[in-house]
Amino acid sequence: MSAHNRGTDLDLSWISKIQVNHPAVLRRAEQIQARRTVKKEWQAAWLLKAVTFIDLTTLSGDDTSSNIQRLCYKAKYPIREDLLKALNMHDKGITTAAVCVYPARVCDAVRALKAAGCNIPVASVATGFPAGQTHLKTRLEEIRLAVEDGATEIDVVINRSLVLTGQWEGSDFIKTSTGKETVNATFPVAIVMLRAIRDFFWKTGNKIGFKPAGGIRSAKDSLAWLSLVKEELGDEWLKPELFRIGASTLLSDIERQIYHHVTGRYAAYHDLPMS
Amino acid sequence: MAATRAAPHACEIFTSLEYGPVPESHACALAWLDTQDRCLGHYVNGKWLKPEHRNSVPCQDPITGENLASCLQAQAKDVAAAVEAARTAFKSWSAQPGVVRGQHLTRLAKVIQKHQRLLWTLESLVTGRVVREVRDGDVQLAQQLLHYHAIQASTQEEALAGWEPMGVIGLILPPTFSFLEMMWRICPALAMGCTVVALVPPTSPTPLLLAQLAGELGSFPGILNVISGPASLGPILASQPAIQKVAFCGALEGGLRLLIQESVWDEFMRRLQERMGRLRSGQGLDGAVDMGTRGAAACDLAQRFVHEAQSQGAQVFQAGDVPPKSPFYPPTLVSNLPPASPCAQAEVPWPVVVASPFRTAKEALAVANGTPRGGSASVWSERLGQALELGYGLQMGTVWINAHNLRDPSVPTGGCKESGCSWHGGPDGLYEYLRPSRTPIQVSCLSKNMNYDTFGLAVPSTLPAGPEIGPSPAPPYGLFVGGRFQAPGARSSRPIQDSSGNLHGYVAEGGAKDIRGAVEAAHQAAPGWAGQSPGARAGLLWALAAALERRKSTLASRLERQGVELKAAEAEVELSARRLRAWGARAQAQGHTLQVSGLRGPVLRLREPLGVLAVVCPDEWPLLAFVSLLAPALACGNTVVMVPSAACPLLALEVCQDMATLFPAGLANVVTGDRDHLTRCLALHQDVQALWYFGSAQ
Repeated sequence: MSAHNRGTDLDLSWISKIQVNHPAVLRRAEQIQARRTVKKEWQAAWLLKAVTFIDLTTLSGDDTSSNIQRLCYKAKYPIREDLLKALNMHDKGITTAAVCVYPARVCDAVRALKAAGCNIPVASVATGFPAGQTHLKTRLEEIRLAVEDGATEIDVVINRSLVLTGQWEGSDFIKTSTGKETVNATFPVAIVMLRAIRDFFWKTGNKIGFKPAGGIRSAKDSLAWLSLVKEELGDEWLKPELFRIGASTLLSDIERQIYHHVTGRYAAYHDLPMS
Repeated sequence: MAATRAAPHACEIFTSLEYGPVPESHACALAWLDTQDRCLGHYVNGKWLKPEHRNSVPCQDPITGENLASCLQAQAKDVAAAVEAARTAFKSWSAQPGVVRGQHLTRLAKVIQKHQRLLWTLESLVTGRVVREVRDGDVQLAQQLLHYHAIQASTQEEALAGWEPMGVIGLILPPTFSFLEMMWRICPALAMGCTVVALVPPTSPTPLLLAQLAGELGSFPGILNVISGPASLGPILASQPAIQKVAFCGALEGGLRLLIQESVWDEFMRRLQERMGRLRSGQGLDGAVDMGTRGAAACDLAQRFVHEAQSQGAQVFQAGDVPPKSPFYPPTLVSNLPPASPCAQAEVPWPVVVASPFRTAKEALAVANGTPRGGSASVWSERLGQALELGYGLQMGTVWINAHNLRDPSVPTGGCKESGCSWHGGPDGLYEYLRPSRTPIQVSCLSKNMNYDTFGLAVPSTLPAGPEIGPSPAPPYGLFVGGRFQAPGARSSRPIQDSSGNLHGYVAEGGAKDIRGAVEAAHQAAPGWAGQSPGARAGLLWALAAALERRKSTLASRLERQGVELKAAEAEVELSARRLRAWGARAQAQGHTLQVSGLRGPVLRLREPLGVLAVVCPDEWPLLAFVSLLAPALACGNTVVMVPSAACPLLALEVCQDMATLFPAGLANVVTGDRDHLTRCLALHQDVQALWYFGSAQ
């Protein structure tokens, strides 16, 4: 992870001065996919880059050590070896950015990654995910335990009641939502968040990261997200230290697109290793 | 194992994450040009017309300069043939019930939808505009326009009952126009039952494609005819007797002026420059590009403007990912341009943006209104009250608040001042192509011997012509300007004769200086009058009506002297009073309207007075015509300068006596004199917003 947010004094006037031109944001959001597209080898390269931003996630009630192990293996080898060879990218160490699991599964994940010989971080959701409505004491304890087990990144659910009453916290990354809501990562929301990140950087020099999560399923979507970050914040933010995509099925779609680019044919789901 | 395709430089792209080219193939456009053997003619009456012995002009790709096709230059004969075809088509087209016309337009919209790729590819290839703009903007809006006007056509019989289509419309398009601008004019014309002959510059094949698509629908081949030819054919088109109206579209420059409040100047410039850095320029048909090019000529124009601006002390910022060679010009931001420099007054070429600071909203308004251009503007502010104030104050056809360039078929577009005086789109735009039912068709006569330089220059000298015989008291002598009777600048008079040839009286001989004074007086009265509530305006008009009735006997006897029978004279006076009252009532009824359209947000249509109107009255009906023209102008909040009937201005002067007591000074001004001379003065005066002329054919 990049340098931590050194933080600044809370200046509530910054928050009260914020204005969002809602219709204009909606208009820009509509245009994003049409504005920039990438094809052919550019598309293949961008998709591989997108893979390196993925926080490969599994947050189901029936997670056990076996599916965690499969997930971690996929995180280490996200794209089939021969496809990478065809693109001459097999020796670039392409892995996903992190693996994201529930606090109880952090141990399994750490163990599986070690066995695979992989040093990507394990991220844990914590603090009463997804609603955040638990006691402060247990939330802090969750974080402590997850870190003890080996998690190096924590996705914190903010206390919405504090937000609604105007009491703010700082962070290194901002995430669009838990991914468990009905509406998750949409472009209008992202535009506003990205511009806030840019303004914060202009005012304080601190770079905050951005993570959209929930609802990003297709390779085409991921390309749109990449170009959105590129347009709004620039190439500096297109690094795993500052940009993550929280997704689970996205990886298979990217793999299928790369398969198509390399072979010229569309793969069936069973042609590619499962995650 | 499958065949694999190597991508050797995926590694580099992986690190740099650059965008690559996303070129759209223009094969279909070339294929269409091939169907015409790369030699385009005209499209008239549903068929291609390729007359022989015509010059041809090459149509070039603006980026590479290669010849795509050659287009014929029309001659007068071709124009006449097209107009004839349109005239014949008009008879059947206008006789169709509105529903049939609506259905035909819907079919045209569907045909465009089927061939949209060809349309946008051709337009992008030939004009160099970005394909994304044409595909997502122009073509979609064109279809929406057709659908909207199809619906308007189908309700025409009930909604526009007293109106009928004008006839054949001539459309003249400038060298740089977009196909969408053409659609804005064609759709309402066709919907209302008119037929169109369009004269397009020879380097644009897109209108020809459109005409072909329309013609191939089969049923009404002659409704849209397209001729490509030089601009010099414009007057020939206008002088064709069957043409009822000529719509002329001016060239748009495309640059922008930004007025930024000083307190947000730095922040705004920073964000703007950051955004400019992200723009990409390239071939129009590249899907990932923001800006195309408009050809080498446009590039040179921009370059010259920027150099001049720099030499006058401005700062120039250019950014964006732009191919270095001509004809690509990078997006340019010019700031710190001194406001008095010539560049600050000139039109800003594309793709330049000139930014200037302002301190208060009042200053911004003064700067924005201080140009002869009055097309459209946008106001950005989070304070609603301030945004609306600026919106009201800007003398522009369209003002967007917190948005820019939103177009919808149901919202009229038009301009003020030099940006034009007609409106397109929406329910108002339909009237451009209609006229009241059963009015006689006007035959236009462009006099061949018209000499604009000498028209109305000479003022005939007037000499005493015999004793004045008339009822006393005679009307006051002088020009009615600024609320009182003044002596004319020229200090001479002209005689007015009655129907038996005797002298009825003398009226003042007005001249250029008097016109100037009258217009000034009218402008002084204009803000106050426009600010009056409709009720107050109605009240004044009614008071004038009552005064006329009190003066009935004098007015009637004057009319009798001019040969009108007593009964008819009295009836004329009564009718004049009635008309004044009717317009007074209308003044109260008219107002602003709120419209809901496809855009996000409400549309407010303001009916504003034009300003100062000049009216030249006809000879006949000296009282009735005078009053009938005065009343509507005043009712809508304008102030007037009137030139009354040349045959007998005395009646107008009688009315002036009442106006002197009732109206605020300068509201209505009456200047008598030689009609041609006064018309010339009014026409040449640049601060008269409109001129209604009912004089001679010349």
